[in-house]
Amino acid sequence: MIATDQALLEQALEGVEDAFTALYRRRQGAVYRFALQMTGSTAVAEDVTQETFLALILHGGRYDEARGTVGAFLYGIARNLVLRRLDRNPAADLEVTEDYAGPEDLLEDLTRRESIEQVRQAVLSLPPVFREAVVLCDLQDSSYEDAAVALDCPVGTVRSRLSRGRAMLVRKLRGAACTGRSIECSQKSI
Amino acid sequence: MQSEEHIVAALRALAEEDAELEAPLRVEDRVRKIFRRKHAVRKWRNGLTWSLALAAAVVVVGFIGVPDKRHSPPPRAKKEVATRPPQLAVADHIVADPQPVEMPPATVPARQVRRIAPNSDPQPREIVTEFFPLLDVAPPFERGELLRVTVPASTMRKVGLPVAENRLADRVYADVLVGNEGLARAIRFVSYEQ
Repeated sequence: MIATDQALLEQALEGVEDAFTALYRRRQGAVYRFALQMTGSTAVAEDVTQETFLALILHGGRYDEARGTVGAFLYGIARNLVLRRLDRNPAADLEVTEDYAGPEDLLEDLTRRESIEQVRQAVLSLPPVFREAVVLCDLQDSSYEDAAVALDCPVGTVRSRLSRGRAMLVRKLRGAACTGRSIECSQKSI
Repeated sequence: MQSEEHIVAALRALAEEDAELEAPLRVEDRVRKIFRRKHAVRKWRNGLTWSLALAAAVVVVGFIGVPDKRHSPPPRAKKEVATRPPQLAVADHIVADPQPVEMPPATVPARQVRRIAPNSDPQPREIVTEFFPLLDVAPPFERGELLRVTVPASTMRKVGLPVAENRLADRVYADVLVGNEGLARAIRFVSYEQ
């Protein structure tokens, strides 16, 4: 029988290393990807993953089953760490925003990967409040309820941020289309 | 609407592209090392606490097992108090009397905090246990104060020290270490050599 995240967390808090390792291996990928998709930096994603699990070691006792899943709890920790990084280095966002529109002469050669990278950069260029909703719900496939726990807001707010985030992405990718990179073009290659 | 569908599809493609991404193994190594260190410290501390409790038990057995000293002059603490209320006199040693005459239980406050002041009178020797932590994870503090209080002997049980059933309501002396932020951090129990 597979132990639940909660059971693993309880054992980990009692000092059972195997339980902690199992929980880490089960959840680290999601935390790492969330941080990477939020920041665009593998170094930051690595740091955030490490700090998230350190916080779990130190403050895992604060987890409240009634409030949401262990996964949502971890996303909540990771989210705070990511936002702290973004506050510390807001220029990173600008850097990313400028990056996503590539040179026109490459348009003809858009491959699937390039289209995906275009979408990735567009996501990174979103304001963090919309970006986190898109990353959690569309890229991490979190439920609205889990996202609401992680983002510390009502489910309705998650839905509206997600909707606005998607609308912004459409505009951004259409903007790219004005320079020859269209969303339709991306879709065809996807 | 179509645009939103397109964007959702594009995001799904991005999610699939990233699905296999994971933190490098070195991150796992680091967090597991920290996990081990943290729990090793906790185990060591628990072990130390029990060792101290065991050592202290020897002293405490003496505290509780002493014969009734109601009529012998109560020993005074070295750092006894100028402002000490007279009715506390009976609690000057670890009280072995189940019914102290001078201090009816109804009038005894749960905790008597007294100021410690030097006293030049010759005093019986003070015997103390080790400190027992009162906080699981204590935040750092700059300075603290030691407060001499009387507590029910049942408090000793809470830190693992043996107390006879019929002595649980007796009052014993204790020193509480209080940090400058007001948190009670540790406690030790006090008796006097008879």
